[in-house]
Amino acid sequence: MHLFLQRLFREIDYNSLIRTRDIDFLVPIPPVFKEKVDVHELLKDLGFLIDFHRDGYIRLVHPELIIEFLVPERGRGFDKPYPLPQLGVNAQSLRFLEFLETNSMKIESDHLILNVPHPAAFALHKLMISERRPKEEKRIKERRDAVHILNCLIEKGEKEIIERSFESIPKRWKTKVVNALRIAEEERFNDFLK
Amino acid sequence: MKIIKGVLEEELQNSLRMKKQYEKALEELPKGSFVEKDINGHKYLYLAVREGDKVKFEYKGKLSEQKRKKYLEVKELRAKYRKNLSQIKKQVSFLKKALNDKELRSL
Repeated sequence: MHLFLQRLFREIDYNSLIRTRDIDFLVPIPPVFKEKVDVHELLKDLGFLIDFHRDGYIRLVHPELIIEFLVPERGRGFDKPYPLPQLGVNAQSLRFLEFLETNSMKIESDHLILNVPHPAAFALHKLMISERRPKEEKRIKERRDAVHILNCLIEKGEKEIIERSFESIPKRWKTKVVNALRIAEEERFNDFLK
Repeated sequence: MKIIKGVLEEELQNSLRMKKQYEKALEELPKGSFVEKDINGHKYLYLAVREGDKVKFEYKGKLSEQKRKKYLEVKELRAKYRKNLSQIKKQVSFLKKALNDKELRSL
């Protein structure tokens, strides 16, 4: 996502505040796969190992990358990791991910077509989940990253896309966005995100 | 600074966890590595196993192609795991050093 944002905002010199090794793949529910693929077996050749998290979900780890699979959490949510037998892994369920799923865009990178979340949705999603982060520094980081992306979009002249994305979300989600911006003391968005 | 400290701490925990996993994975791989010796124009297969300071060569004779392939895979995997483990050790040392920095320590 960082590289994609850097490419998208190249004219305005986008720089992520901090980059980690995590890469998350969002799997829609119900999962639709053309064929069964053992992801770990594929990545084993590159030296990846399977890491069983204490909550039961699987991560594929390498010194340079940590791969996780996510599914949108709906209703009461799942108390266990969501099994993905088609990939030989499982996924962690997280709230509001369907928003990213429906607000995605296709990009080409290294001859691959990738589906990535639209930066406006990505930023709004970060604001929505920020208060769910148990650690304070994580909450601050989510808000800062989100505000940085929103500012880049405005500078690029894409304020309307932010507005449209914001308008498309339920009222309760809007409140979360507005609250997060208020905590971040970011008043410049007050005129159109309310 | 607080954010940086939080991220560095999380990355350190990830690296320490990974270090343990690579060490375990290396331990679980079959011991020794296959070496092919050319003696008087003939190829012989030996399993080289380290025993303390010495490397012991066990003669294995002829191996089926399948078994030979498996041993080669293990050899490659071991090399990758060792490389990754060495990279992680460097990360751990870098992250510990960064977290020990005066400015971050004071937070």
